[in-house]
Amino acid sequence: MTAAFWLALLVAVGWTAGVVAWCRRVARGGGRRAEAWRRFFRHPAASAGLAVLVFFTTVAICAPLLAPYRPSQQLDIVALQNRPPSWLHPLGTDLYSRDIWSRLAFGAQVSLGIGTLGMAVAVSLGGLVGAAAGYFRGWIDAALMRLVDVGLSVPRIFIVLLAVALWDRLGTGALILLLGLTGWFATSRLMRSEVLSLRERPFADAARAAGARPWRIITRHIVPNAAAPLIISAALGIGHMMLLEAGLSFLGVGVAPPQPSWGNMIADGRDQIVTAPWTSLFPGLAIALTVMALNAIGDALRDALDPRAEGTLPTGA
Amino acid sequence: MTAWLLRRLAAAFAIVFTVVTLCFIAIHLAPGTPFLPEEGRTINPEAVARLRREYGLDRPLPQQYVRYLAALARGNLGESFSQRRPVADAIASALPNTVVLAGAALGIDFLLGIAIGAYQAARARRRSDAALTSASLFVHSLPIFWLGLVLLLVFGQWLHWFPVGGVTDPVMYDSLSLLGKLSDRLRHLALPALTLGIVGAAGTARFQRAALLEALSADYVRTARAKGLPESAVLLRHALRDALLPVITLLGLALPFLLTGAVLVETVFAWPGLGKLATDAIAARDYPLVLATTLLASVAVVMGSLVADLLTALADPRVRLVA
Amino acid sequence: MMATLTLALAVSACSRRGGCRDEYCGTLVFAAVGSVTTLLPPLSGASLERDVFDQILLRLADFRAGASTIGDSGFVPQLARSWEWTDPLTITFHLDPRARWHDGPPVTAADVQFTFESYTDTALGAGESKALSRIASVTAADSLTAVFRFREAYPEAFFDAAFHMRILPAHLLRDVPRNAWQTAAFGRAPIGNGPYRLVRWVPNEIMELAADSMFFLGRPHLRRLIFRFASDLNVGVTQVVAGDADAIEVLVAPPNIERAQAADHLALYPYAGTTYTFMRFNLRANGDALRPHPLFGDPDVRRALVLATDRERMVQSATAGRAKVPPGPMPQQWSWLWVPELTPPPFDTAAAGRLLTARGWRDSNGDGIRDRAGRRLSFHVAVPTTSALRKQYARLLQEQFRAVGVELVIDEMDNAALSDRQNAGSFDATLESFQTDPSPIASVPGIWGTGGASNFGHYANAAVDRSMRAAARASSQAEARTAWVTAFQIMAQDAPAILLYALDNVAAVNTRVTGVEIRPDSWLALVRNWRIPPDRLNERDRVGR
Repeated sequence: MTAAFWLALLVAVGWTAGVVAWCRRVARGGGRRAEAWRRFFRHPAASAGLAVLVFFTTVAICAPLLAPYRPSQQLDIVALQNRPPSWLHPLGTDLYSRDIWSRLAFGAQVSLGIGTLGMAVAVSLGGLVGAAAGYFRGWIDAALMRLVDVGLSVPRIFIVLLAVALWDRLGTGALILLLGLTGWFATSRLMRSEVLSLRERPFADAARAAGARPWRIITRHIVPNAAAPLIISAALGIGHMMLLEAGLSFLGVGVAPPQPSWGNMIADGRDQIVTAPWTSLFPGLAIALTVMALNAIGDALRDALDPRAEGTLPTGA
Repeated sequence: MTAWLLRRLAAAFAIVFTVVTLCFIAIHLAPGTPFLPEEGRTINPEAVARLRREYGLDRPLPQQYVRYLAALARGNLGESFSQRRPVADAIASALPNTVVLAGAALGIDFLLGIAIGAYQAARARRRSDAALTSASLFVHSLPIFWLGLVLLLVFGQWLHWFPVGGVTDPVMYDSLSLLGKLSDRLRHLALPALTLGIVGAAGTARFQRAALLEALSADYVRTARAKGLPESAVLLRHALRDALLPVITLLGLALPFLLTGAVLVETVFAWPGLGKLATDAIAARDYPLVLATTLLASVAVVMGSLVADLLTALADPRVRLVA
Repeated sequence: MMATLTLALAVSACSRRGGCRDEYCGTLVFAAVGSVTTLLPPLSGASLERDVFDQILLRLADFRAGASTIGDSGFVPQLARSWEWTDPLTITFHLDPRARWHDGPPVTAADVQFTFESYTDTALGAGESKALSRIASVTAADSLTAVFRFREAYPEAFFDAAFHMRILPAHLLRDVPRNAWQTAAFGRAPIGNGPYRLVRWVPNEIMELAADSMFFLGRPHLRRLIFRFASDLNVGVTQVVAGDADAIEVLVAPPNIERAQAADHLALYPYAGTTYTFMRFNLRANGDALRPHPLFGDPDVRRALVLATDRERMVQSATAGRAKVPPGPMPQQWSWLWVPELTPPPFDTAAAGRLLTARGWRDSNGDGIRDRAGRRLSFHVAVPTTSALRKQYARLLQEQFRAVGVELVIDEMDNAALSDRQNAGSFDATLESFQTDPSPIASVPGIWGTGGASNFGHYANAAVDRSMRAAARASSQAEARTAWVTAFQIMAQDAPAILLYALDNVAAVNTRVTGVEIRPDSWLALVRNWRIPPDRLNERDRVGR
C-alpha cells in the first residue's frame, strides 16, 4: 500500500476513536438520554464493541478510498500468489494474487450489507406478524403462530440448502430475501409477547376508548413501545445472518464471485489453511470481531433501553 | 394437563406434516435429476429414464405425493437412490452418530456453560467477569466451521493428539478390547464435540449469568443473606435452582442450533451423521433420503420444544400451561 | 474394579505380541474421495467403484500401461490364459482353468457369454454397450473356450473385446431379472474371481476388502484394503497427511501437494492423468437449439477468446506446473498423441482485441465491456461446485476476459443442476472435465463428433468427423496418430472450446509401501503387487491373524 492509503487508514481509525469519544461525552451529560448512554457504557465490552462496529462500517462505506486495489484485481497470478502480509500488502494476497485488505474492505460492504438488510427484512416481517398475532389474538394468532412453529421446526440451513438447490445460483438480492424470509420467526414470537402485554396497558385502553382503529393503535402506540426488544434482537440477529452467510459460502453456495464477502473469502482460503493461513484468518477474525461487537452492543442496549434488566440493581454484596 | 399435551401433540403432527409437504414440493421442483453418474462421464439417457420410471418419478407430482404419504403411513420411508438400500437403514446408521455428537456437545455446552455462568455471576462486575464476558462473546461469534478447521489442524494434524475424522479407527477398532474401543470412540468424538460444545457453552454461559444475577436479586435471596448464610450457600442452594429453569428452555432451542452446526462440523470432521447424510442426499437429489432427514429433523425440534415446555411446567408450579 | 482394570490392560498388552509378521501382511487405508452406489460393473458410474471392482472382478485380458490399443500386443493374460485369431472376424479365448469364483465354481465360458449378453442388454443400459456394438456374438465352444465373432474387422477389435467387460458369475446373476439388477444383493455384496473379496461395506463410511490367498495369479501381499470415504478432497488429504490414511489417488491442488511433500511418511507418485478440462462454448442459442448463439455462433469471437487466455500462466498459478496445456482434446494418458506438430494456440491479447473489434465489438459506452448493436459481450459460465480447480479457473478466466473487454459471469451449481443445463442446452459456456479410456476412439467422437452423446455445444464439422472415422479404421498407431492430428488441427481452427489443462496426477502413498505401480487408467489396478516388507510393518499391519 502506498503512503496515501496508510494515511487514509489512520484517518479511519482516528474517526472511529472520535465517534466513540463523542458518545462517551454525551453519556457524561444530563437528562434521560445521557442516563441511557451511561447504562450502555457500563456494560464491559460496550465501548470496544461500538468501536469495532463503527470502524468496520466506516471501512465498508469508504472502501474505495481505503482499498488500494480493486477487489477482483489479480495482480500477478504466478509471482504474487499467496504472499504473506507485508508493507505492500498489509494482510497478504490470496490464491488469485488479490490483495486481501482490499477484499476485506469491499467484503465489509457485502457482509455487513447482507447482515443488515437480511435482518431488516426479518425484523419487518417478524414484527408485523408478531404484532398482528399479539394484538388481534384469536384464530389469527393461532394460525400465525402455527406458521411460526413450522418455520422454527426445520433448521434454517436445511431450508436454505433446499432453496439454493431449487435455483442454481442466487443473486445477492435473492440471498438477502432468503435469509430474511427464513429468519423472522423468532422475532415474531418476541414481538407477539411484547404486544400481548402492552395491549393491556392504560394507554392502549385510552386509544381504543378514543375510537382509534386497530392498525393505528398498533403502529402509532404499541410498536414504538415494543421497539426496544426488537432493536436488541435485530442487533444480535445481524450477527447470526453474517455467520449463516459465511456457512453457506463454506458449503459452496452464497455470494457469487468475484464479489468478495467475508464468508466466501474464508471458503476460498480453506484449502490453504496450512500453507497460507492468512487468507482465511483475517476474514474469520473480521467476522468474529463484528459478531462479537454486535453481541456486546445488543447486551449493552438491553441494559440501556430497559432499566428493569438484570444486573443493574445493586447486589448488596 | 392431558388436554394440553394432546393439543400440543396434534399441533406437532400438523407442523411436521406441513414441513414434509413443503420439502417434497421443493426437492421435486429443483433442477437436476437423480441417478446421474459421476461428473465427467458420459450419461446414458435411456438408463436414467428407465430408473426414473422404475422409481415412479415420471408420474404426476400429486400422485407421487399421495403414494409417498401412503407409504409413510405404513412406516415405509422408501429406498435411497444413492445408497441403494432402504432409507431406514441409512438413517439407522447415521442417527446414532448424530445423537452421540449432539449429546456430547450438549453435555459440554451445559456443564461448561453453567459452570462459567455461575462463576461469572458470583464474581459479577469484577475483572474476571469482564474478561470472561469478552472471551465467551468472542468464542460465540466464531464461524463454527472455522473453529473446527483450526482445531483439526492444531490438535489433529500438528500435535496428532486426536484423529482427523471418522467415528472409529477403520483398521484397529475390531481388535481392540472393550476399554480400547471406548477410548477409540472418545478420541474420535473429542474434536467435533468440543467444536460444537465450546461455541454453545459461550452462549449458555451468558444466559446463565444473566438468569443467576436476576435470581440473586430476588427477595428470598436477600432474606437468606440477611439470615447470615454464606454466599456460596446462597448461590448453590437457592439461586441456582431457580436459574436453572430458563436454561432448560434453552435445551429445546439448542436442538436446532446443534442440527445446523452439526451439518458444518460433520463436513469438516467427516462425521457420518444426519447432517452429512442430508447434504449428500440433496446433492445427489436422493428424494426419499432428503425427505426422511427433514422429517426427522423437524420431529426432533418439535419434540425438543415440547419436552422443554413440559419440564419447565413440571419444575415450576407457577407456570400455567397455555396451549 | 482394580482386578478388571488390570485384566483389561493385560489382555490389551497380549494382543500386541501376536499378529501377522510376514511377507503377506499389510493393511492399507485409502482416503477415497467420492461415493460408491453399486458394485455391479455394467451399472457403475463412478471411478471409485471401478477401483473396487478392479480387485474383485477380472477382465479376460489386462491392459498394460502406456500400450497401444490397436491389436493385442498391449494385453497380458488374466482370466484368459491365451487367445488367437481363428479368422479375421473371430477371436477365441482360452480361459485359465485355475480361475475360480470365490464361492467355489470355476470360471467358465458360459460366464463370458452371459456377461456379454448382460452388457449389451438394452434393459440394463450399460455405458459400455456402444463400444461392444460391433461384436456380433459371444459363444461358449466348451467350458473353457469363449468365441467372439465381430460384425466387421477393425483395429481395436481386441481392445473392445477384452477391456470393457468384467466377467460376471452367470450362476449367481442368471436368475435375477434385469430390472432388479439396480437393487440386487450382488451390487452390494459381489462375489468375484479377483485377488480380493468384499468383507464389509458401510455406505459412505467404510469398505473393506480382504485378500484371497488362493488367487491363481499369485497371492496379494497386502492382506487388507480399507477404503475410507470422504466427501471432499480436503478431508481426504488431511487424513493422509495426518497419517490416519495411507494413500490417496490424486492430490490435485498445489497446497495439498506441498502438505504431502512436507509429510515425512508420504511418498509422491506422479503418473499420467486421464482427464482434460476445457471451457465449452454453446454454438447454439442458450435454450434454443434451432438458432445460432448470438456470441458463439461466430467463430472469430471464439478464436478471440482462446487467444485472450494465458493458459500457460494459469496452469502455473493453479497447478504449480503439474499440468500441461493440451494442444487438442486429449489427456496426458494418450502420450503418443502429444507430438510437435500439434501446438496449443498462442496467447495474444492484442490479436484477440483486433479480432473482436473487426467483428464489430467495441466498447461504446465506456463501461469496460465491449458491445455491438446494444448487446454486451457478456456471457455466463456454468461451473460445478465440486471441483475446486475449475472454480479457481473460472475466477482466473474472469479477470483475463475483463482485460479484453469481455464480461464473464460465474454460475456455480451442483452436478445435478449442471447436468440438466448441459442436456437441455441451456448454457452459454461450461467448464467441463472428462475422464477418458486408454483409447481415444471411445471418448473423442462422443464429445466432439457431430451428434455425439456428450456434444452439448452442438459442434459439427464434417471434416473432423471424417478424420475421426479414419483414425478408428487405422491399422497402426502411426496411421491413427496422423488422422487424430488432422482432426485436432481442424478443431483448433474452429475453437469450439478453450482447452485449459490436462492434469498430471500425483498420488501419495505411505513410504513403508514398496513396489508401488500405478496404471494411469485405473490407479489401483496393480495394487496386488504392492508390498510392505516385514521390517516395515506397523501396528495396523500386524493386527489380526
